[in-house]
Amino acid sequence: MTPQEDFTHDAMQYAPQLFSTAMRMTRNRNNAEDLVQETFIKAWRSFATYQQGTNLRAWLFRIMTNTYINKYNAQQRKPTETELDDVEELFLYKRLGAVDQSQLSQSAEDQMLSMFTDDEVKNALEELPDQFRIPVLMSDVEGFSYKEIAEILEIPLGTVMSRLHRGRKSMQKMLYEYAKKRGLINEALLPQGDDE
Amino acid sequence: MANCQETLNEMYAYLDAELATERATEIIGHLKVCTDCQSAYEFHAEFKSIIRLKAQKDELSEGFLDRLRECFGDDSLKDA
Repeated sequence: MTPQEDFTHDAMQYAPQLFSTAMRMTRNRNNAEDLVQETFIKAWRSFATYQQGTNLRAWLFRIMTNTYINKYNAQQRKPTETELDDVEELFLYKRLGAVDQSQLSQSAEDQMLSMFTDDEVKNALEELPDQFRIPVLMSDVEGFSYKEIAEILEIPLGTVMSRLHRGRKSMQKMLYEYAKKRGLINEALLPQGDDE
Repeated sequence: MANCQETLNEMYAYLDAELATERATEIIGHLKVCTDCQSAYEFHAEFKSIIRLKAQKDELSEGFLDRLRECFGDDSLKDA
């Protein structure tokens, strides 16, 4: 295979991952498809500058993230520390002890799996503001390292860590609200004074 | 060995495989002897894997991969 064919083959392997991330970014199938398409067109045009053997996957995610930020005016670099409510540490863990065991027959480990639907997890992610959502997507869904995420987003390592921390806690709170809405959590069983 | 506070603070860094080997060993050492931290750790490991599992499955539309393949090698493609 020529280097071009290799490149195409390798890039196409990442299409499903890029599409899922694009779906969480844009929350819309047509826009997500456009975003991945634009990413591949840009990648192909930059093929000359791509060094074989370097991290193609991170490179593609970086192109896609930049494209998304520019196209949708995502508030990537604005200081938005107040944009998320401060959520206490171990928010969900402290509360899921209150789940009525009789409603769940599975083992403790399977409880969360059965409790939240795919849509709820996707919604909780999509509700996060961009600057928190993208690091959580990159770490928890795509498995990138903090260093890779810092490079993809062009932000300092410490910022990656603090955004991940706050984004994850905020997601826990959202999922908890969904579970409450569906009547899966009996608030009467919660430890007194531990809410909020 | 790490204490409870350190273990909870560094739990995610450990889960994300971001701790140096020596520090990871100290955290594992604590998890082995502290059931409270062990249980918090298992919960968050599960939470992380659930996010991955449930947010990764988006079915591709028919023909989408073919359209993507056309992005490569066609110099006539213009910016959308």
